Amino acid sequence: MHYDTPSGSRPKRLPVLTLLTLLLGAATFAFWMWLYPQDLSYQEQNQLFLFTWDYLLERLALPGGLADWISEFLVQFFYWRWAGALIMALLAMLLQRAVWRMGRTQYMVSFIPSLLLLVYMGDVEVLLSYPVALLIAVWLCPLFLHARWHRLWLIPLGWWLIGPMILLPVLLSMVAMSSNNAKPLVYGDKAQQRVVSRSASIFSASGTRNQSSGASHGYTELLILIWTAIVFFVGTRLMANQYPLRDALFGLNYYRLVETLPALQWIIPIVTLLSILACNIPLQFRHPALAGALLTLLLVLGTFLGVRATYDRDTHETLAYDWLIRHERYADVLKRADKYQPRNPVSACSVNFCLFTQSQLESRLTDFYQCGTRGLVLPSIRDNLSDITSAELLWMMGMPNITLQYAFDLQESIQNGRKSGRFMQRIAACNIVNGWYGRAIRYLDLLDHSLFYRKWAREQKEMIQDEARVAADPVYAWIRSVRFQDDFITNYNTLDLMMAILYNQNKNNFMAAQYFEAWQRLKQMEDKQ
Amino acid sequence: MKRWLPLLATLLLAAACTGSTQYNEALPDIYPDYIGVTIPAGIAPLNFNLPPDYDRVFVRVTGSKGGELKVRGRWADFPIRAWQKLTAQNAGGTLSFTVLGRKDGTWTQWRDFILYVSDVPLDDYGLTYRKMAPGYTTYSRIGIYQRDLHSFHEEPIIESTLTPGQCMGCHTANATDPSQFMFHLRGKHGATLVQQDGRREWLTTKTDSTIGNVAYTYWHPDGRWFAGSINPVRQCFWTGDHRTIEVFDLASDLVVMDMRDHSLIVDPRFTTKDYLETSPAFTPDGKTLYFCKARAFEVPRFVDSIRYDLVRASFDAETGALGDIETVIPASREGHSISFPRPSYDGLWLMYNQADFSVFPIDHKEADLWLMDLSTGETRPIDEVNSPFSESFHNWSSNSRWFLFSSRRDDGLYVQVYLASIDENGHCTKPFVLPQKNPWKYYHNTLYSFNVPDFTKAKVDFRTRGTYEAVFSDERIQATVK
Repeated sequence: MHYDTPSGSRPKRLPVLTLLTLLLGAATFAFWMWLYPQDLSYQEQNQLFLFTWDYLLERLALPGGLADWISEFLVQFFYWRWAGALIMALLAMLLQRAVWRMGRTQYMVSFIPSLLLLVYMGDVEVLLSYPVALLIAVWLCPLFLHARWHRLWLIPLGWWLIGPMILLPVLLSMVAMSSNNAKPLVYGDKAQQRVVSRSASIFSASGTRNQSSGASHGYTELLILIWTAIVFFVGTRLMANQYPLRDALFGLNYYRLVETLPALQWIIPIVTLLSILACNIPLQFRHPALAGALLTLLLVLGTFLGVRATYDRDTHETLAYDWLIRHERYADVLKRADKYQPRNPVSACSVNFCLFTQSQLESRLTDFYQCGTRGLVLPSIRDNLSDITSAELLWMMGMPNITLQYAFDLQESIQNGRKSGRFMQRIAACNIVNGWYGRAIRYLDLLDHSLFYRKWAREQKEMIQDEARVAADPVYAWIRSVRFQDDFITNYNTLDLMMAILYNQNKNNFMAAQYFEAWQRLKQMEDKQ
Repeated sequence: MKRWLPLLATLLLAAACTGSTQYNEALPDIYPDYIGVTIPAGIAPLNFNLPPDYDRVFVRVTGSKGGELKVRGRWADFPIRAWQKLTAQNAGGTLSFTVLGRKDGTWTQWRDFILYVSDVPLDDYGLTYRKMAPGYTTYSRIGIYQRDLHSFHEEPIIESTLTPGQCMGCHTANATDPSQFMFHLRGKHGATLVQQDGRREWLTTKTDSTIGNVAYTYWHPDGRWFAGSINPVRQCFWTGDHRTIEVFDLASDLVVMDMRDHSLIVDPRFTTKDYLETSPAFTPDGKTLYFCKARAFEVPRFVDSIRYDLVRASFDAETGALGDIETVIPASREGHSISFPRPSYDGLWLMYNQADFSVFPIDHKEADLWLMDLSTGETRPIDEVNSPFSESFHNWSSNSRWFLFSSRRDDGLYVQVYLASIDENGHCTKPFVLPQKNPWKYYHNTLYSFNVPDFTKAKVDFRTRGTYEAVFSDERIQATVK
């Protein structure tokens, strides 16, 4: 599959290649737009990008900060799923083209890193800064191939901006330099070597030096390797001394969870490096079309199997419920649950809430998976997902203080320490309901620096200037009218009694009544078991 | 050129004060409220902001003993060296502030205000504190930090990113001396770290005879002992709209640890089931241990019935033996609760918190600071520093002429550190919030509260290298019971 032409003129089959790239983009877009849009929503709600210098400086204070900042800038657009899908598609296409540009011989091979990333992103805790850093690293490869001694300052700079992913161009340049000094790694006949040389091959880029100084180049590359190690260790001490060494060495901002290093996180850069090298091998096939078709089939099949293996169905279904509830598509949750419902309390809680919104809580409660009263309202759980629906339903029912607690804990459970626009919105709203405007304004001012929460924040800031407007707001007025009139200590185990109190206080609060009844039924079912 | 600068500045001020300049008899609405506060010479500049609708500010500071400083910009941002020189020159005197602000193109000049520079030094390097989100059960980031009081430099001592999954407890130095300090980590790999003269020990203070690890600690002046309370802390939450959280102890006992052989003195009189003992603090002579004691009730049901008295017991620094418990302030009888007794290092005063109930005043709006004269036993609320919001944790400077405390007065939730001075008669001055480079931006944008602040005589030397490995290795020195 050698797509380039000896003349170096515009490749004849370029439209086909472009078409393949566009196909990758279309497939990636469709994947995120229609198959897993909930993942985009999850990414978006676990960060809050602010248009402030301080925010940028805070990111740049850590290695990999620029990739992190660019990633968070992009992820804020995941608020619109089409924009998120488009960004993911563009990243996949750019990465594929960047890899191909490094060799311009094996076009299908250049798809491997993008497809592998798609597989890896099945883990919802992978941050977008990982593919962003990978893309920048591949983009930097040509620069490193020509940089020679300039790598001495490019390595620390690159490490600071994109993190340990800078190893990719460093290693590539070392391989290229060493190979040219030992023996040519460009396979094929002389004509093909010329082709490769003219098509910006990594070997041609570095292969113009004096071949007789092979030994000295070997030492040079050894020095570069030692220098890279020094940069990593000294840089970690200087910039990331409040992080475990292992985390700093493998990237602080590539993965949301602490103390976790998924295998694909280090496999993908290696595969990318190998793909770039493979793209420089002008292999000749007797039946190029057949070989191309087989490789394509292999890649599609591999991606399909990879996605099946990494995309945990229950996790993504639970995320889908949350995404649909966020957009008030309650009926769609029930439709999905009719087909398949994960057997976990979070999904039960979401489905039960949607049953209530569709006035089916009483009639269809037992049609779906139940796990006792926990499946109706979850107790406080220390993660960034489980309690979202519980927080929302308790808000509607008239328990803003528990909602505040849940929303706060949800935000603080984001393990990489980021804040959340969605959760902060709810925290601000809880403070407004309580009349704590001084506290609310802090959150509203922060949201004012975001893109997608700004409008809401400004409306709220204007509203809290006038108590009459707050009192007239339908949401705040409703919650104030149904909330507890007495101040007492809450207890999850007596939540049903608290619901009864709410209903007795305000007979319009039929949500409290229905949830109370459902609680009793589920308790009975639990007792029988 | 330099000699013309004062003239130019005066001309600018004169120009600003004429024409479109309005004069307002009121004091300027500055943030933070530094008007009339007393500061030590050499402290970081007391930068301040005007309300956001003022886009420019001009400030002239004149010392009663000489010296002058002028700044202009988006906020009053004084150069550190010039500020320190001015405050040093005016120790024992006053600084007069002339403030002009521009709004919609029009300048306004307010009435000048005064700031007092104390002649009592504050020689300590700075402060230590923990920063965390003021919330509920989960914290994504916690850290213990040190801050140079003479500049705006803040640096982490340890952050939770280094010890993932472990909650970070309070940092306790021995009478502001950082050569001997400890802090506690809670979690699966929990431990108490004690660092003495650079040597570290990771301890497990939970034994078969005690109900948990030591949490709230206080060093004995001789450095051999520390007293600590063991508190299984829990939270519960209110439904109303004037408070949210109540923190309480399921139980609490008091023990003394001997660092020579890592043994605990567990005295049954201080580890009773029917009573809660907590918040120990030694007097500077090391002969008395103050702490708080309350009758235990079923929690959280009767959490608002738990009220602590201030009690004390003698302490024998040779054997570690505690004497009889003597009630000093029977606050529970009058429907109050005392927490965090802190004797001054000069032995004159004892500062404590008083709230309606509970031992955790931070969530109690009514919680105030009180002062007891140790020579007479007289007590009084420190009205000079108290506010309608919660005042809670406090500590003394090494010379005991300055103190700091936490307060929620800014917005009712986020805790800030305030400093104030106290004279030999126990009179305190108006407190000022810990200065920041751009105070409004800093305090308004932060999502962290300042917890358990303390002075530190010198910079804390804590190297993070090896900490992660030490925490997760679970290699601990097991405390024994004497």
